[in-house]
Amino acid sequence: MDKTKLRNDIILILSLLLVAAVTLIVLLTRTTPGKKTAHISVSNQEVEVVDLSKNEDKEYLINGTNGVLHVHTHEGAIAVIESNCPHQDCVHMGYISEAGRSIVCIYNQVIITIDGEPINDVEL
Amino acid sequence: MKINRLLSLLSIAILTSCSSGKNYLDGKVFCFNTIVQSILYEGNNNNITDIKNILLEYDALTDNYAKRTGINNVYTINNSEEAVEVDPKLYNILSKCMEVSQKYELFNPLCGSLAKKWKSALANKQILDEATINEELEKIKNSTLVLGENNTVQIIGEAELDLGAVAKGYANDIIRDYLATSSITKYLINSGVSSVLAGEKNNTDGLYNVGLPLVVKREYFKAKNIFISTSGNYEQGVEIEGKTYSHIVNPITGSALNTNDAVVVLSDSGYLGDIYSTLLMMYDIDDIKTFEQEENVKTIVIRGTEIVYHHPDIEVLTH
Repeated sequence: MDKTKLRNDIILILSLLLVAAVTLIVLLTRTTPGKKTAHISVSNQEVEVVDLSKNEDKEYLINGTNGVLHVHTHEGAIAVIESNCPHQDCVHMGYISEAGRSIVCIYNQVIITIDGEPINDVEL
Repeated sequence: MKINRLLSLLSIAILTSCSSGKNYLDGKVFCFNTIVQSILYEGNNNNITDIKNILLEYDALTDNYAKRTGINNVYTINNSEEAVEVDPKLYNILSKCMEVSQKYELFNPLCGSLAKKWKSALANKQILDEATINEELEKIKNSTLVLGENNTVQIIGEAELDLGAVAKGYANDIIRDYLATSSITKYLINSGVSSVLAGEKNNTDGLYNVGLPLVVKREYFKAKNIFISTSGNYEQGVEIEGKTYSHIVNPITGSALNTNDAVVVLSDSGYLGDIYSTLLMMYDIDDIKTFEQEENVKTIVIRGTEIVYHHPDIEVLTH
């Protein structure tokens, strides 16, 4: 057998294996289906990333621009449970859990958004 | 040589597999007290910037909470005892609002002060007292918005303007015209869910799946090339003594209790859709059916966790 041909075949096989491995890594590191992540930002800077898939009962204190927000996670949902903002819109929004949803506190410039694979293109 | 070519091809394949796969442009901008997301499946970043500028311009013009540098906005009008010359764009919005309010008395852009007082009371989990409601209703009743020559505007009386029910929808009307001029047909402008401009999706039928408010579980409908306006108390509602009070206030009775918990309106106009969804929160089902025929809109009405009515042409699906 021609040694050059054999070498080329080995390189081809190794290259294909490399492509398969890279593709697998990329697929695994992309958003896992069913995984929900909440991103909390203050003044457009991300300050906390919360994995809602863990269904943890946990409280986070977020330093907003005008005060501290108490953010709570419960059964895969997240809410602002206490804020010093005058209208309390962020608190009134209650718990959100759907991908694509967000809670905004204008007074403290805090935005909480939920990542993940949304069921719908738009959630009203 | 062949090996080199093969390796080059493989490199391209690897790089392609590492790309994000995102096949659209998107932009987010904080305005109208919410986040507006623009998704374009066509066009370029200049289009995203133009849309952002439209949104910011109308946000500034219609802001009733703060004065903006270099312009006379709603805040300026509310805080001036004299006629104020405004941008023709704001003048146009006000003219259109007045037309609708003359037709439907349950829509009154002059109930800004009443809405603010309700909002403050509800923030403290309190119901606004009767004396304050009556005082505010008197202000509304005795006030007039005068639209004069040369784009001048003046409120005669003590009432305050609030264009919260109109602003996002009107900006979406402008964006729709802009996108049409730019020959862009595949897009989605999501103005904080209450006002959505749906073009076509980048799929075979062009339809978007639109999920209904959280009170309805996993139900959705399909839509394209339409404005979708939603009003409801599911986000800003406050429950006191078993009743849910909302930011949507009846300008005749002064009440913040609504007949419906959420109303979705599908229409050909952003600003009208937004006004109608607010208005129909106070309508019963029979009146909503009549309204649909008169105004050529389609609605979905939600009470509690149930869809109590939807237009026969809207197919409500479940995941």
